[in-house]
Amino acid sequence: MRNLTKKILLPALYLTCSGPLLAQYTFFTPKEAFAIEVSLPNSAEKRLPMYRNAITSLHVQGDRVLGGTTAKDGLSPYLFVASISERKVLSTKDLSETITGQKGIATGFCKGADNQLYAGTLAQVNKNQQPGHLIQVGIGNGGKIEVKDLGAPVAGEGIFALLSNREGTELYGISYPGGRFFTYNIATKKVQVYDEVAPKEKELKDAHDFAIGPEVYLCKALVQDNAGLVYGSTAGNRIFAFDPVKKSIQFLETPLPSVWGREVLGQVEAWAKAPDGRLYGGNAGDGQLFVLDPKTKKIKNLGKPMMMARLQALAFGRDGKLYGLAGGAPGYSHLFYYDENGAGFVDLGNPEFKMVAPGIEQGILWRGFQLSTLAASADGKYMVMGEDEALSQLMIFPVE
Amino acid sequence: MNFRSFNGLFAGASLVAGLLLAPGFKTAFAQKSATTEKNIAFIEYPDFPEAHSTWGSIGYNAASNTVHIGVTNHSNKIGLYTFDPAQNSMKLNGFIGDMAHLRKFQWQGKIHSKIVASPDGSIYFSTDGGESREEYLMEHPQGYAGGFFMKWDPKTGDLKNLGMGLPYESIKDIEIDPKTGTLYGITYPQAHFLVFDPAKNDLRDFGRLASSHVPRVLFTDSWGNCYYVDWRQRLVKYEKERDTLVFARESLPAFAGTPGSKIITGVTAYAKDEAKGIIYLVTYGAKLIAFHPEKEGIGKVEDLGGVIDTGKAVSWGPYVPNLNIGTNGKLYYIIGGHGNYVLKDKTVLVEYDPATGKKTILKEYPTTAITEATGSDIRDKDGNLYFAGRRRLTGKGDLSSPFLIKFNPEKDIRK
Repeated sequence: MRNLTKKILLPALYLTCSGPLLAQYTFFTPKEAFAIEVSLPNSAEKRLPMYRNAITSLHVQGDRVLGGTTAKDGLSPYLFVASISERKVLSTKDLSETITGQKGIATGFCKGADNQLYAGTLAQVNKNQQPGHLIQVGIGNGGKIEVKDLGAPVAGEGIFALLSNREGTELYGISYPGGRFFTYNIATKKVQVYDEVAPKEKELKDAHDFAIGPEVYLCKALVQDNAGLVYGSTAGNRIFAFDPVKKSIQFLETPLPSVWGREVLGQVEAWAKAPDGRLYGGNAGDGQLFVLDPKTKKIKNLGKPMMMARLQALAFGRDGKLYGLAGGAPGYSHLFYYDENGAGFVDLGNPEFKMVAPGIEQGILWRGFQLSTLAASADGKYMVMGEDEALSQLMIFPVE
Repeated sequence: MNFRSFNGLFAGASLVAGLLLAPGFKTAFAQKSATTEKNIAFIEYPDFPEAHSTWGSIGYNAASNTVHIGVTNHSNKIGLYTFDPAQNSMKLNGFIGDMAHLRKFQWQGKIHSKIVASPDGSIYFSTDGGESREEYLMEHPQGYAGGFFMKWDPKTGDLKNLGMGLPYESIKDIEIDPKTGTLYGITYPQAHFLVFDPAKNDLRDFGRLASSHVPRVLFTDSWGNCYYVDWRQRLVKYEKERDTLVFARESLPAFAGTPGSKIITGVTAYAKDEAKGIIYLVTYGAKLIAFHPEKEGIGKVEDLGGVIDTGKAVSWGPYVPNLNIGTNGKLYYIIGGHGNYVLKDKTVLVEYDPATGKKTILKEYPTTAITEATGSDIRDKDGNLYFAGRRRLTGKGDLSSPFLIKFNPEKDIRK
């Protein structure tokens, strides 16, 4: 062991001190990137309180970033609006002012008509179990947040995934914990619930055998193709497609990509639609990126950017690259991009951006460990990332 | 401190050193000191030829009047030492991998934490991956499983592994509430604050508190509340009666122009004047602070100025990763380390008298003698103060040699 130490480990240690050769302690820090301090206890600034700020929903609308959070047990979540140009939080709103008993907003935000945004909530788990609600969110002058309660679409259930159609007239969702697919007509408020995608006895037994819960096997993200079909995953490592015209559900023949014996972990947790209409998805189970061709209904496994599980977010930048967040606890999220016509997967690792705010005018560096959400501005110029921490911040970088 | 911070500090340190070399600087430091070599002893660690360094890994055990030190080869071997002032003896108790029966996949790089003692004489510390393997390899076969809380019983020699903090994370520092036995920990690199009850094996993660850098120092008050700093260098207190974190409204004092990299690193050392109810702090931005803790809420913070008044250099520059308080109520600290020195190629031992505010350089050492020193609040019953010293071995890359510094400002300790 002594020889090993002298001949191998200590020289290796020296190499680690020698600079960027091995890319250790170098971070993704593009010019003009910055962090916005969103969470800070006991502050005179507009900030979110501790344990109520895990950023689980993000949407970029012009200069405004709308965030929705998830809280720890017994606490209620927040909504907030930040300005990209001003690099600061403009407003915050405690959801409990509108709806009580809620724990998280993890499904936002879907764009509806008239610039209204929609999300679904998950309720606190307690004796007086409340259902999750649909909420309509508007951003007013000065970033003022207006929230309207649209009620609970599925009795006794929360909302685990949500999508709006292209016209912004209808919402599609997955209920929690039952995993039922539902549609919600924004104008008429009519709800239709479909049981086909809910896990059946076989899937529930598998989940029990693997000691996993609905957080692991329910579909976490939905997407609509150019023909109007809505796609999502189901327990059992399958993809379904809902036809809003025929009001019918079919299951694709090609399964989600998987690692041998781990199909039970199959869960789509992110989608991004390419300009050519192909659908790129992220499988939480083992972190594979895949592409679904809506014409052939075939799925191609594109591989994974890092060793760990999870692929929590995807968005196209104006450079044509697909950006995403791979991995997560108990390790760290890595920012990556996938360039189909170039390098393929490029792991950018942890971003480290400068944060400037009153009291820290000189700026401090913020490193993103548990990044969980990513949203692109409509023009693909900005990528906005949100953290899932006890005190979560925003990290924003421009795409070249 | 890891090598990342070393590299990052070096450029700033050069600036500081350059400014201090300006003509006339030396006279600004001219002080008369009664401290002689008789007041100081350097004590080597026996039976560990590959010993590389010590970090914050030093602590005092009042029950046995002993000083304990964790010494590492900064790779995979950590010796646990005990210095007995009564016998003037330094003893290697063993290597923690062997003593705790760690499996190969549980390898540890060093003890970075301070060593804390409970009233029954047991000591506690935590372990650290040490370097890049820890932070990047993770689930790889050569990766780092995570740091452990450990308890050593000096009477029996038994080292007990109390379990892991968080997967893949080191535990940079710990503290103890001596009344309840609760341990506090801070992880690296994600800076999660942990509250651990060894009796119940109950570990609670209070979440991330820092930004890109993990402040290295936790400390407690007389009630057993534990303190840390957030990224604004505000005190964060774990208030044990309410089982909650309390954040100070204001940041700890800092010089105008202190860089953000200094602010996010926060407190580097502390020493307690228990009779007066004061905890002295030193920050990475080179401020001395008198903190007056209160049982509830955050107490008063008093700015005592810079660690050294050069009048020439940037005030936030000096690096002080250690602090002790003598029985005379004066503070003692060694400035320098990680490439950051207020005198060219020298570390300096400084005395600060809170009564008068006077700061005096007692001794100067070439960096080949003392490169840097760590340790907070380590004083034996005879008033001897201890620092964990390290000297860089010139011409040998990063190689260094650790040793213990024993200092008594008022007594000849070589008799």
